[in-house]
Amino acid sequence: MDSSRRQFLGAIGQVTIGAAATVAGANSASATTGSTTDGKGASGPHWGMVVDLRKCIGCQACTVACIMENAVPEDAFRTHVSVYEVVKEGRDPAMVMLPRLCNHCDEPPCVEVCPVQATYKQEGTGEVLVDASRCVGCAYCVQACPYDARFINHETQTADKCTFCVHRTEAGLLPACVETCVGGARIFGDLNDPESTVSRLLASNEVSVLRPEMHTDPNVYYIGLDEALDGRVAGEAAYKPPLTTSLEHHGEGR
Amino acid sequence: MQIHELVGAVHEAAWLPWAVQYFFLIGMSTTALFLSFPAFVLGRASSLPHARLALITAVTTGISGPVALLADLHQPGRFWEFFVYTHATSWMAWGSWIVMSYVTLLLLYAWAVNRPAFYRWGQDDWRFAWIFRFLAFGSPANGFARIIGIGAGVAALGILTYTGMEVAVVYSRPLWHTPLLPLQFAATGAVGALGVMLVLGRLFATGRVVEARMNRMLALALVIVGIIGALWFAVALSGISESHTEALASVAGFTVWQRIALWAAAAIIIPLVIAVVAPSRSGWITGLIAIHAAWMFRWTVFMGGQAVPKVGSGLYDALMPTGLEGLMGVIGTFGLWIFLLILYTTFVPWAEAEVPDDGSTSSAAPQSARTV
Repeated sequence: MDSSRRQFLGAIGQVTIGAAATVAGANSASATTGSTTDGKGASGPHWGMVVDLRKCIGCQACTVACIMENAVPEDAFRTHVSVYEVVKEGRDPAMVMLPRLCNHCDEPPCVEVCPVQATYKQEGTGEVLVDASRCVGCAYCVQACPYDARFINHETQTADKCTFCVHRTEAGLLPACVETCVGGARIFGDLNDPESTVSRLLASNEVSVLRPEMHTDPNVYYIGLDEALDGRVAGEAAYKPPLTTSLEHHGEGR
Repeated sequence: MQIHELVGAVHEAAWLPWAVQYFFLIGMSTTALFLSFPAFVLGRASSLPHARLALITAVTTGISGPVALLADLHQPGRFWEFFVYTHATSWMAWGSWIVMSYVTLLLLYAWAVNRPAFYRWGQDDWRFAWIFRFLAFGSPANGFARIIGIGAGVAALGILTYTGMEVAVVYSRPLWHTPLLPLQFAATGAVGALGVMLVLGRLFATGRVVEARMNRMLALALVIVGIIGALWFAVALSGISESHTEALASVAGFTVWQRIALWAAAAIIIPLVIAVVAPSRSGWITGLIAIHAAWMFRWTVFMGGQAVPKVGSGLYDALMPTGLEGLMGVIGTFGLWIFLLILYTTFVPWAEAEVPDDGSTSSAAPQSARTV
């Protein structure tokens, strides 16, 4: 299991997309790790994602797939694609897409603030997860996350976030957003395996992470990310509540 | 470069107005506790009038605050997990133990201070005497009140430390990530506590001398708040702290924040001037403005802080009350607090609380002056 959907299609030819992809994913995962449900130990996979922004078309298929797969409530997102119009001096305006999700950091600030150890980093595979049966819904983790990747799920009244679709990866499947990505922009795989697609992409491309100044060691990497977008984006917002529209002389900068 | 966000997600505030109420009430409770010490711990009889008001404030806010905190949990029924799965790296986890210790010691302290009067009320022949006999546990002795008070004071320092640090360590929110925040919570807490004491002083007609004394203390607290605020601005403008500079830059361009800055300055300067110019006739106005200032500071920190996106552009609308649900937390908590104030001032002989007798002083037993 180390691919985007496009690569999978290229590898196995013309078959039914969804079902075949899951089978192929399972075979590939099993071949890599022996048992993906265990996921412990240095020899196991350490999941990561590379987002190739050159391929993202902002179709939000990943957003919808995630909502359908994980029953995300109406008023929240585990992943979505931010869309910006960027106008650089002397150049035509450009549309820039930026898929956002939990970065499954190796130094996750959300884990250390949790007062009851309900949120934790999965040993070995490295996903940052929430034990919803223990979460008290204090939302401290929501505050601590530098990526606004967490929210309170009002159906469960607990903290909620992207899990890298752990229920799927444990079964040898790809995360729903990866499997559905139309442009093949989301690539998921084992960062421990130097031969994996994600490792090869990291080795052969200039990649960056969101908010590097936070020192969270994210496991989500971006190819083609403009520096102006890797932190708090100092621009005109799509949503403007009352009294927040006066952005002239806005001192915000990077 | 110009950037226009075309599609972005709006994040609602995860800490609700209940949290504002908790930090407001517990900040006042802890600082009011210290204001009760000159009489009830240090034994200065001249401080009794304002110390009595301080104790009323400390107890009533000390009970209603944690109720608001519990309500802010989205799973309040799981509060016991704080004590079973304590996570040592979390300030909030430590806070759960500190809050429990503080409230326990605060109530014990208040009981010890009032025990002689409970005993006296229990000796009278009246309908509810049996309750006060029970509360007195058969004796008026309360020399131990000082030790319990000191214990409560240590717990109060713990509260001021943890509430400040819990928020200040959140480096993902530059507005919160400042070592000055614990000091700001403490100083504005004192402003709020003195505001409540001034209002109570007027309600119970404790006199102009007491009022002037409390107004002078309020003026001092307001000056301290102003100095810390100026220090925050100076650090942010100087550029010596990237986080402070980013915090200022993230809000400075927005109309709503410019108005908040003016509002905050007015909330400090206006009561300060009144308290200095007319200290003995202004308790109502300085008191109410001071209460409002302490509350407004926390609302701005918590709701305003959550209105600043971490990665997106612009502001979310957490800063403004959105509907009845958010406001109910504020109204409900204030309702509980006012109810406790009425309960305490009606059924506790607060006006008879004297300097605890540890055997070194001999004083004539005051007469019972029941309010019920």
